[in-house]
Amino acid sequence: MKVVTGVVGNDIHVVANRLIDLSLRARGFEVFNLGVNTYLEEFFDAVVETGAEILLISSLNGEAEGWGREVKALKAQYKNLDDLIMMIGGNLVVGSGKAEDIVPRYKKYGFDLVCHQVDLNTGLDTLEAFIQERNTP
Amino acid sequence: MSQTSNQLLIDVGSTYFKVSTNDSIEQHFRDFNKDILDDLLHHCGATINSFAKEDVYICSSANGGLNTLIIGVSNSFSLKYATNIAFNSGINIIDTILYQNIEGYSVPSDLIDVVIIVGTIDSCAGMFGEDLYQYLGKLEYSNIVFVGSEQDAATIEQNIAKVVVLPNIIDNKLHIVEEHLKQYLTNLYQQDIEGKEDIKHLYDITSNQIYPTPYIVNRALPQIDARYSVVNPFILLDIGGATTDIHYSKDLVDDNLVTTNEFDRLVFKKLGVYKSKQSLIFTAKNNEFVYELLMHLKVTENIFDEQSKKATKILMQLAIFLVLCKISHYRKAYINLKFLTINSFVLTGGITKVLSVAEIEDIVGFFYKKILTSEHRPVVVLDSNYDIWTLGVQGDQSCQ
Repeated sequence: MKVVTGVVGNDIHVVANRLIDLSLRARGFEVFNLGVNTYLEEFFDAVVETGAEILLISSLNGEAEGWGREVKALKAQYKNLDDLIMMIGGNLVVGSGKAEDIVPRYKKYGFDLVCHQVDLNTGLDTLEAFIQERNTP
Repeated sequence: MSQTSNQLLIDVGSTYFKVSTNDSIEQHFRDFNKDILDDLLHHCGATINSFAKEDVYICSSANGGLNTLIIGVSNSFSLKYATNIAFNSGINIIDTILYQNIEGYSVPSDLIDVVIIVGTIDSCAGMFGEDLYQYLGKLEYSNIVFVGSEQDAATIEQNIAKVVVLPNIIDNKLHIVEEHLKQYLTNLYQQDIEGKEDIKHLYDITSNQIYPTPYIVNRALPQIDARYSVVNPFILLDIGGATTDIHYSKDLVDDNLVTTNEFDRLVFKKLGVYKSKQSLIFTAKNNEFVYELLMHLKVTENIFDEQSKKATKILMQLAIFLVLCKISHYRKAYINLKFLTINSFVLTGGITKVLSVAEIEDIVGFFYKKILTSEHRPVVVLDSNYDIWTLGVQGDQSCQ
């Protein structure tokens, strides 16, 4: 399956981004890594250009909070993205916060899977389980 | 600047033409009632006739360039990449259509010189459908080229007559691949020049290929910082009679365009001080800072109605300010330059004959203070002897 990934907003955490890229490839995904400092529109545009089934956005400095609010409205401008699996992970707030508050908030923003301060492999296990569930008739 | 041997270099612009020999450079306002060749011979017949055809090198931006329509599937990749390649091929007039909304776009009534269809990487298929063919059926165009997914090429060829299929301009890493489309567009531009009656006659005085002027300027840029008091990164503004060209170092944009070019080009097609004067004034009146700028220059908006040297100076100063606004965060354009890292502003074209360094620095300072609230002041360098153009033409000869 094709995955578009990258770090959202003005965030240069390139090591985490590279680890996500490598881990996805190790699990057999075809990865289109947009790197750090990526704007929301570029993520969706890359999905259109590559035909990706999954969009995995990461954020380390909490910038996702601001960008996340725009996701639903922006996605609505694109036709044919209804089946896109939307995942976000990393440190999703500035300062500290509880996962039980943060996860529902991001789901409201339009993400199917939200991993706040969850380790990478656990997050990707969740993604694979979600795909399997979706593909089960 | 010395030319390598005895050669005559001619640049035919929309408003002026420039003629450069080893010893002198002259500039003449064009007489639009005359054929370009007649006009040239009228002003510098003796000079031109003293050179053999093989020693005469001509470039021109006077034919207005190709009218181009790009249909792509996303703003950040297919449309952006194709626009970048088109600008760097010397094309001035570019309209874009986002394919998913194609039904909402009106059909241009003018003849389009070239339509470019682009979208998706090679591992995707089936992006384009009936709505594209219906739109194209209503459109009048001379050339059409497909530079999208190779898997879609066969279907496109079946449905669009006379379509030229070239390799995808987006590779499988979502990077830009320029060379094939760039070569195609440069050749089309060439054929267009050769087909224009006015320009065609110029081959009576040269046996060398006539190139688009922006193409010549662009190829001189990598050598500029070594030859002039210009420090990288820099931008080059060529404010002419009909259009304003901006050539800028790649270091000035945070961009997903990864190419081997060190410099890119952007054109504002209706920002010039002669042919596009009314459009320039209209743009100025819609800019909230312009009245403050006019006050700063100690004139009123009545200057727009004047026909004087002073009015031309003010218009040129306005053109600089408006162009800088258009490529800054203040007006989101196709690109936003990182103005605070620019070290030099290089200005070429007719503007160098009208404005002094101090007058340009004044405008640049006003822009940085008002729009960017910064005290940063890049160095202004005037290419008042058309050395950049000369360098470009010579570079071209050395490649032949």
